[in-house]
Order: sequence, then structure tokens, then C-alpha cells
Amino acid sequence: MWSIIQSVLAALIGVQKDRKRQQDFASEKPLGFIVAAILVTLIFVLILILVANIAAG
Amino acid sequence: MRSLWQWLLPTCVIAGANQAQANGWNMPVGVTDISRDIYGLHMTIFWVCVAIGLLVFGVMFYSLFRYRHSKGAKAAEFHEHTSVEVLWTAIPVLILVGMAVPATATLKNMYDTSEADLDVMIIGQQWRWRYEYLGEDVAFNSNMSTPWEQIRGEAARGEHYLLEVDEPLVLPINRKIRFLMTSDDVIHSWWVPDLAVKQDTIPGFINENWVQINEPGIYRGQCAELCGVNHGFMPIVVHAVEEDEFEIWLAERKEAAEQEAMGVDREWELDELMARGEPVYRAICASCHQAEGQGAPPAFPALANNAQLIDDLDWHIDRIVNGVSGTAMPAFRSTLNPVEIAAVVTYTRNAWGGDTGDAVQPASIAEKIVQ
Ligand SMILES: [Cu+2]
Repeated sequence: MWSIIQSVLAALIGVQKDRKRQQDFASEKPLGFIVAAILVTLIFVLILILVANIAAG
Repeated sequence: MRSLWQWLLPTCVIAGANQAQANGWNMPVGVTDISRDIYGLHMTIFWVCVAIGLLVFGVMFYSLFRYRHSKGAKAAEFHEHTSVEVLWTAIPVLILVGMAVPATATLKNMYDTSEADLDVMIIGQQWRWRYEYLGEDVAFNSNMSTPWEQIRGEAARGEHYLLEVDEPLVLPINRKIRFLMTSDDVIHSWWVPDLAVKQDTIPGFINENWVQINEPGIYRGQCAELCGVNHGFMPIVVHAVEEDEFEIWLAERKEAAEQEAMGVDREWELDELMARGEPVYRAICASCHQAEGQGAPPAFPALANNAQLIDDLDWHIDRIVNGVSGTAMPAFRSTLNPVEIAAVVTYTRNAWGGDTGDAVQPASIAEKIVQ
């Protein structure tokens, strides 16, 4: 679980260790990554909205 | 050698920046707090970019030179370096956020048009600006006053060639002035660099902006949105004056407007109308229909020796009051007052050998405008 989130966060900034990448691609099921990526993106957008609201406040 | 460079480089850079300012290559510092903020942001971000550029290209060219193939340099074969990659992702993010914080603060301030002391409506028209002091019953058109002889190269160019108008926008200093900006025809853009205002005026929309000018002076600008053949001939001139001087000017303009309104009801002589009509023709009509009414067919029909115009007075008046849809001829019912329309109709019917003798009365025009 934590491993998946870590990989998604690494993908968000575009920096990943090769060892971790090979470990991720050893898994057969992409569903966990997809769900985690959508959730992380949603949280990121919500944070942006919050920051924008504080700035405009 | 190194000490020479340490001294020479910053000196050259600062001298260059000052030179750019003096030559007008850089943006002006301007005369409002916002224009100064914008200038400060521009310079801060400029120097950030200079520093990044020097650093990145310095490292790059040094590496190219120091580790060149002819000296037997061998490429390092490694796949990744996570901490360096994280670092060169994080540093630009911090720089961008660092620039965004002050920029956002300035932007917020720019959009805050609340609590203005004075509202001025700015209306773009092909090809002039119209200014209306809301709630003050003062409104006028601001036409370029550069003579056509200068534009055609028949006379020497004046000091403020293409940047001079018959009626400047007069504004008080030290007061928050809100601009309500729109257009009667196509998109124009009201741009005065010293006030840091460049705002599109869009038909059917009202854009807001505001200024608070710190220093009295004359500030010039231009239409910044391509709006037709005379786009280059609708300059902006702002006279920023002391507050008491502004009050005197406003009172004079109000009085003049009242005088003009009273003039609608009385009978006007032909000579009077001709004298009043000529400057209106020059300011409003001549840019399309030309100085001697010869026009520029087919877009701009001739007015001199125009049989239909001479024969049909009502048709003539209707063209000016209501415009001609689908052509460049706008309706002047709200741009010119009845006296001005009567005078310019009279002028075009009697100048250039027309000699109809028609003295069109402002009262009759006022009736047509109400219809
Ligand atoms: Cu324009």
C-alpha cells in the first residue's frame, strides 16, 4: 500500500529509483496504481483550490 | 585576471540595465503604485532569470570545455542519481513559488476596483476614444489631432506625432479612479504604459480597471488591439492634474455642457452652424470621407457633389444619427450632441460647392434622436 503511494508520488514529480521501478513492474495488476494515482491527483487539485482560496481570501 | 572580471562583469551588467532604461528599451517605471510594483516584479524576475542563465550556461560551457573528447574525457556510465534529480526538481519549484507569491499579491491589488472616488467610462470607437465621467454629466470624444498633412508626409512631423489628441482625458492625482471599459464596435485596447493599464475594450462587455496617479503630468498611449484601417490613429492622452485643478476643470466642463444643451432650443444661423460644423467634420468624419469630402470609394463614399445627399435631407440626417448597418458608418446619436450633428450636416451640405443653403436646426435633430 505505502509502496504504491510512494511510486505515484514519485511519478508526480518525475523522479524514481530504477530498483523501485523494476519492483513495481514485477506486479501483474495495474488497478492499485490507477486508483492511487486518481486519488493523489484529486488531493493535489484540492490543495491547489485551498491555496488559491487562501490567497484570494 | 580574475579580479578584473569580478569588477568588469557587474559593472557592464548594471551599466547595460541603466542604458536600457534611458533608451526606452525597458518598460517604464510609471507613476502609480501598481506600475512601480509591476516594474519591481519585472526587474526581480529578470535578474532571477539572468542568474539562472549565467549559472546553467556557465556550468554547461565549462563542462564542454573542461571535459572535451580531445583531452580524453570519458563519459560516466550511471543510470540515475535520485538525490540530484530531486534537488533539480525542487529548486525550480521553490523559485517559481517564490516568484508567484509577490506576483499574486500585485495581481490581487490590480483587480480590486472597490471604493473608487471617481468612475470614468472609457469607450473605444473606430477610431477615437470617448470618455464619460459617470454621475458628473461630462462626456466627450478624444480624437487624434495630428494633421493629415504630417501623416501624408506633406509637412514635418511634430514632437508628439500620432500621440496627440484634441481633448485629453483629465484625471486628478491621489484619487482612486475606476475605469469601466467597453466598445461601440470592435475590440480595442486602452493602453497607457505609464499607468500600467492595458485593457481590452470589448463590445457588449464592461471590463474594470483602476488607477491612482501619484504625479501630475501628461501620459500618452495608443490603441493596442488592431481595430481597422485607422487603428494607429486613435491615441490616448491623459492629463493628470492636482485635485483642485481637476475640480475647476470639471466645473467648467459641466457649465459648457449646460450651455451646449441650451443651444439646442434656439434658432441657429447658417454661418454659426458652418463654423461649428467644420471642426466636427475634421475630427469625426474626415478620417474616412477625407478633408474635402471626396471620400475613398467604394468603402467611404464621397460627400461632395453627392446628389442623393443634396436631394434628401432626411436621408442625410438618418445616415448620421442611426449609422448604416453593415458598413463602417457608425450611429452618432450618442457620440455627438444635437448641435454637433446639426452643424456637421449643415457643413457637409454647404461646403465644397454644395451651397444648398440648408441651415439644419439642432432642435429638429434632437427630435430625430428621441425617435
Ligand atoms: Cu482601436
